[in-house]
Amino acid sequence: MRRGFMAGASALAAPGEGGWIDAHSHLAYRREDADRRLMAAADKLGIAQLCCSTLPAERPMPLDGCRLSNEWTAAGMRRFAGRVLGYATANPGHGRAMLDEIERWLDAGFIGIKLYNDHLATDPVVAPVVELAIRRGVPILHHAGHTSWLPGPQPNISDAGHLAVLAKRYPEAMIICAHVCGGGDWEWTIKALRHSPTVFLDLSGSVPDEGVVEMAVETLGAARLLFACDLSMTASVGRLRGARIDAAARARIGAGNMRGILARRRG
Amino acid sequence: MIDTNAYVGAFAFRALRGTAAGDLLRRMDRYRIAQAWVSNPAAITYRNAQPANEELAQAVRGHADRLIPFAVINPGYAGWRDDLARCRTLGMRGLRLYPRWHNYKLTDAACVELAGAGLPVTIPMRVEDRRQQSWLVDVPDVDAREIGELGRAAPGARIVVLNASGGVARAGLPGNCLVEISLLRAELDNEIGQLIEAQGEERVVFGTGQPFHYVEPALLKMELLGLGPAARARIESGNARRLLGVTG
Repeated sequence: MRRGFMAGASALAAPGEGGWIDAHSHLAYRREDADRRLMAAADKLGIAQLCCSTLPAERPMPLDGCRLSNEWTAAGMRRFAGRVLGYATANPGHGRAMLDEIERWLDAGFIGIKLYNDHLATDPVVAPVVELAIRRGVPILHHAGHTSWLPGPQPNISDAGHLAVLAKRYPEAMIICAHVCGGGDWEWTIKALRHSPTVFLDLSGSVPDEGVVEMAVETLGAARLLFACDLSMTASVGRLRGARIDAAARARIGAGNMRGILARRRG
Repeated sequence: MIDTNAYVGAFAFRALRGTAAGDLLRRMDRYRIAQAWVSNPAAITYRNAQPANEELAQAVRGHADRLIPFAVINPGYAGWRDDLARCRTLGMRGLRLYPRWHNYKLTDAACVELAGAGLPVTIPMRVEDRRQQSWLVDVPDVDAREIGELGRAAPGARIVVLNASGGVARAGLPGNCLVEISLLRAELDNEIGQLIEAQGEERVVFGTGQPFHYVEPALLKMELLGLGPAARARIESGNARRLLGVTG
């Protein structure tokens, strides 16, 4: 048995054999108490593993901030061994030094790269990071939203359309479009990805709108969808549990697809 | 369980799945929800909301034991007192208010009068997440402090804040204001637990937002709270029953 995480779970947990994998989560920089609460909630909800990044507070993300954040993620991987899988937080604008930072953490066992809103996904500055991800066989989890309003300015936020363009340039890349349920008009996002078969969609976010999962399965297919929470855990677990899809699709989305991504790693 | 936040009818900006009364009843059966307080989302965008109330009354006919109709009244619109009287004759047992969509303040004299009319008042802080609103509209959330002002201006009113956001526990709501849980977190910072701590379990009610929302998240929140049976029963049904003036 991998871990005893199910021991503390109530009857509401147990979403599937081995538990689900949260493809989009975050650790809280220098807040061990918050990280412990995250793991406790994951225990109760039957989430076996969480793919986490740590984000610096400053925007655009400074190189030092990315380094410190990644060190915190690495510490989290040690504290919660086997439960926390790390994404290397990166701002592509830092060039060679950022690429070295990503390589360092992939060598240390991180499973992918997290890009935020420092640059549009279609900005040429992003290309070397994508090429590195292809070479190493790891996914890029890309922040995204197609919104009519935001609580704060995000001038370089990408949407699914930008990610579709990037995927067309780099069909070998594994790109994950982040938080469809926290990125504004989710119907737009799903439709924008229909013809981008290499882009995965993470189902995380705080918006519990009924029909998201069903439309995503109908439009994109279950093989391109990833269970994820982005810290909205009851909304996200409930969304996948409540969706009117078959058990096989739920299992693929819950963990199988992410396992497939992790298995494509090279080196 | 009593779902204090449910809907029958279509919404202008998104095709909801299962908008008929029968759809709602089947969903309620699936999740063992005994009753739901329902309004018609069409009323949110009709200028004259009353035809939506008439549609709702037709839709729930024959299901009075399970679907409790709530009227959408705009106290800034001509004839609202006539509409309120008509809704009483139609069997409406509560009100649902949309001050930002209908362009009035909760503290306007007419609204205070409406809130004091003797029916429970439900006020969704939001209809949809603002980030996903149509390009045609820019409707902010209702400020929980404004709801608190209404509660103080109409001390006899019984008010429920629906689709509440996280700041509601710090809004200083008076004792006649209750809060529904569907958009609050039970994990991590546990907004629902904070709310229970701040104002007591007798002022928290269960709700889902169906069919706008999946039902499962609200059920998970109740599980995660880990309440004792008495507290859980109050939130799931007792408080709502008391608001409607039903005993037992």
